[in-house]
Amino acid sequence: MRGFVPFLGQRLFRALIALWLVSTVVFVVMRLSGDPVPLLLPPDAPTSEILRVRRELGLDKPLPVQYLIFLSNLAHGDFGRSIHFREPALDVVRGYLAATVELGLTAFVLAAVVAVPIGLFSAMRRNTLVDHAAMGLALVGQSAPTFFLGILFILLLSLKADLFPTSGRGDWHNLVLPALTLGAFTMASIARLTRSAVLEVLRADYIRTARAKGVAEVWVVAKHTLKNAAIPIVTITGLQFGTLLGGAVVTETVFSWPGIGRLAVQSIYNRDYAVVQCTVFLAALMFVVINFMVDLVYGVLDPRVRAG
Amino acid sequence: MEMTRRDLLKGAAALGAAAAVPLTAGSPALAQTTQKKELVTAQSGDVSKFDPHFSTSSNDVRVSFNIFDNLVSRHPDGKLYPSLATEWKLEGQTTWRFKLLQGVKFHNGDPFTSADAKYSIERTYDPGAKTMVATVLATIERVEAPDPSTLVITTKKPDPLLPARLAFYGGQIIPKKYVESVGNDAFNAKPVGTGPVRFTSWVKDDRAVLDASPDYWGGKIDMDRWIMRPIPETAPRIAALLKGEVDAITQLPPDQEDRVAANAATRVAGALYAGLYVLAVNSKRPPLDNPLVKQALSLAIDREAIVKELWRGRGIVPNGPIAKGDNHFDTSLPPLAYNPSEAKERLKKAGYKGEEVFIETTVAYVAQDKAMAEAIAAMWKDVGVNVKVEVIEYSVRAQKNREKSFKGVFWSDPTSTLSDPDGMMWRLLGPGGPQDYWREAKFDELGNAARFSVDEKFRGQAYKEMTKIFLEHLPWLPVIQPYEDYGIQKYVEFTPNPNQQFEIRRFNFKFRRA
Amino acid sequence: MASSIPASAPAEVVLVPAPARVKTRRRRSARLVWLGAGFVAALLVIAAAAPILAPLDPIRQSLRGRLAAPTWNGTDGHAHLLGTDHLGRDVLSRVIWGSRVSLLIGFAAVLVGGVLGSAAGIAAGFSRGRADAIIMTLADAQLAFPFILLAIGIIAVLGPSFPTLVVVIGLSGWVSYARILRSQVLVLRSREFVESIHALGGSLLRVILRHVLPNVLSTIVVVATLELARAIVLEATLSFLGLGIQPPTPSWGGMVQEGREYLDSAWWISTCPGLVLMITSIVVSRTGDWLRDLLDPTLRGE
Repeated sequence: MRGFVPFLGQRLFRALIALWLVSTVVFVVMRLSGDPVPLLLPPDAPTSEILRVRRELGLDKPLPVQYLIFLSNLAHGDFGRSIHFREPALDVVRGYLAATVELGLTAFVLAAVVAVPIGLFSAMRRNTLVDHAAMGLALVGQSAPTFFLGILFILLLSLKADLFPTSGRGDWHNLVLPALTLGAFTMASIARLTRSAVLEVLRADYIRTARAKGVAEVWVVAKHTLKNAAIPIVTITGLQFGTLLGGAVVTETVFSWPGIGRLAVQSIYNRDYAVVQCTVFLAALMFVVINFMVDLVYGVLDPRVRAG
Repeated sequence: MEMTRRDLLKGAAALGAAAAVPLTAGSPALAQTTQKKELVTAQSGDVSKFDPHFSTSSNDVRVSFNIFDNLVSRHPDGKLYPSLATEWKLEGQTTWRFKLLQGVKFHNGDPFTSADAKYSIERTYDPGAKTMVATVLATIERVEAPDPSTLVITTKKPDPLLPARLAFYGGQIIPKKYVESVGNDAFNAKPVGTGPVRFTSWVKDDRAVLDASPDYWGGKIDMDRWIMRPIPETAPRIAALLKGEVDAITQLPPDQEDRVAANAATRVAGALYAGLYVLAVNSKRPPLDNPLVKQALSLAIDREAIVKELWRGRGIVPNGPIAKGDNHFDTSLPPLAYNPSEAKERLKKAGYKGEEVFIETTVAYVAQDKAMAEAIAAMWKDVGVNVKVEVIEYSVRAQKNREKSFKGVFWSDPTSTLSDPDGMMWRLLGPGGPQDYWREAKFDELGNAARFSVDEKFRGQAYKEMTKIFLEHLPWLPVIQPYEDYGIQKYVEFTPNPNQQFEIRRFNFKFRRA
Repeated sequence: MASSIPASAPAEVVLVPAPARVKTRRRRSARLVWLGAGFVAALLVIAAAAPILAPLDPIRQSLRGRLAAPTWNGTDGHAHLLGTDHLGRDVLSRVIWGSRVSLLIGFAAVLVGGVLGSAAGIAAGFSRGRADAIIMTLADAQLAFPFILLAIGIIAVLGPSFPTLVVVIGLSGWVSYARILRSQVLVLRSREFVESIHALGGSLLRVILRHVLPNVLSTIVVVATLELARAIVLEATLSFLGLGIQPPTPSWGGMVQEGREYLDSAWWISTCPGLVLMITSIVVSRTGDWLRDLLDPTLRGE
């Protein structure tokens, strides 16, 4: 365990730097995008009004000063006030967060729950129709653009087949299509990964032994697969979270899902700096935390990693 | 080969049948009567502000006009009716005396008195309040509340349109005691008014829930609750209607009307918009500073085709800057002409050398804006104009609007707020107005005179002359006066209002019950 | 979205196939790679020959014939094999012309990303100190970020133009190249002869060009192919959100967006460009997979 603490420390340091970089980039980009004040006032507002509001929002100070204020606020958890909603940005984002978490978790759980058995079956029924069909679908899921997948689902499963609603958030019916869309990539990746891992296991000797002994093949396969595939699956998990977050932006837009992805996009268009900063920062924070945990688990599982 | 409207309808119906969404059996949408006590509507955007003085967007107006009442109300038939004011009289040239309704209570129980009316009106143009409607009641000199049931308004100069001004946005009455005690932000979060519905809850981007006020002075409306859901995308909004998930939807695009009309349970209801869709011109930017160029651009637009094909006939070609249905609309003027060869002539006369003309269009801010922009760009290209279409975000448009920094022409949907040219052409194009890119001394002189004259004949003459000047200089390129359509279930009985209000009070809305 | 290199995993292998099977797999992969490459070549030809291949002018409107279903004989007397859109423009012609946008931006972005990423990776590997830490932290930071938001933000600020799109999309992919180049350089540095060359005053650049690049070439090609698929999809996503190439120039993503309102009636407007996009993405990323099987099985870490 000697190298472990420095390893963690280094990772933590990198995580903090990453968060800082992300916030800075957001700050710079949003400030570059122009003045949000005209959006808030009526078109015939006098210049004195504009100046007053600008002063009120702290936008009249020089950029470096704004940046320092911004950083210190960040450290206190103060993301500023949403210009559009007229509430603290954190409150606004919190209101939308639940929807994204609901969608993301469902997508991920669905993906894992569906993909692992599929991967297992495909490997055990190698080169049959089932295998080819499943891997074909996995290919589509991994390469197809998320937005078009969503559109296809809407067209085929909602408009034509009338099985699900077309958009919005409501009961579990509304969750299915967006979760499928968002989770498609993850589902496909996990299925393919599981299949490869299982194929490896199937080739090993102990399978033949187990078969000779008459032990149910599935259980032996499952047990050994899990051991072998643990590392790559854990790695993929952490990564998938990042893609899920990015994918949420598109999925939420296609399905009008009221989550932080869509909120972020709308806020960019509205020049609502505070909300954009808050959303991106929180998303990056979540990603960094999860990645950190993945690294932790990884470090426990694979001592080679700690060497750097 | 000319496609007639019937061919279009036939084709669309065939398409619709082929792609029909099967309604589940026993769906309440199939009935032409209902026992519903809850109204569910869907519109193309969420409420941004509940405070009626802070937004004039149609998505907000539809809701705020039902949470709040005005002193005077404009009904779908275009006439002014008493509301919180039972009668009003002009005394002398500039003084109006309003008699107020007695026994009205705000949703929180506070009684409505003239103090609230005075407070509401003064708030609109109070520089400290920074409202969005600061110029609406700018003709008012002072407001007095001599007793709880009387309001006296004195205008700066004779203003024949004062009651009309009070009927539209800016004229909503808010509770003085409540707003003063909780402040603007809390008031926006939990609005309180005198209207037929009261605010219950709001989940952003999901739904706004409004409960009917049981002792509304105009009679309890024909429902217990109204749920407003924002569904920005057209296809799901229409699907929600066709599946019976909602009772009414707004902003129904003409392309989809056949589906709604063909469906047994739904129908289309629309009103001719009290306003115009125009391409406003930044006349300061060459080559748009040359009236001949603008005339050419106007002559090159095939408005008939746009109305017939893009709007499926749901609109009329304007004949000038005054909307049909307004005072002093000149029925003798022909619709704006389409003459591409004449357009080319004028371009030549203007000495047009191929300078770029920009169309800065938004997407779904004005209905069909992007599609019309692309169609018009093609028409202009055909007469030799070097046209560039640029798609801009609504927020960018708002900024350019404020800074008056548009590159060329841009979409605007001026509303005729007073059913009078003063409330549209003059409000927007007058000096210091939001679309003040062009000035002409005679135009200004006439506009000012007409605003403060009580002689309708004189005003009519003035607006006629202003129209002539307008048609020569074209600070706007009017494109269409469209119908703004709703899709509604057949068991909903309701007349749409041309000024974008969604009137659910008893005199205008009810469910058809068995 | 078809990124293949896990962020935190070492570049080493996890699973290696048994030797006996490798030969047959390699032969099969070789054939498939040619198939995939052929597809891309065909696309390139179509894009280049768009003016000749497309039956009609892609921006020519015909308001009377709008929203027409696929037909041999339309209202304007022309065949519209994939129907017309909401302004009466021929969908087939627009799909053909749209390939130009996708391929042009896709290849250009891969070039930008590849050059930038490789340079960064080499710099990181050689410096071993501060520059390395900075560059790797930048890489981490980028992965911590839902990049699409950054892309939207930048394009919303700078406006959607061809160079902006190429740079932004290119930037989205530099990390993969950087990691590969960096580890190669690190591996190389551990070899003594490199140190000796350096000690003798030989040019570092020469070392790179002669020793590092040839080794990584095959890996780079694999990554570039996968990145091409990702770049094409990212461009289409941005166009779908309205931040790509502007109208009336046809782009696949933009066409899907335009057809959204008519999904239940004139579904061909969205589905045709979307399907072409999907097939392109699948074939190109699959080709990348096959290339990887062929050239460098050690990369099969996913």
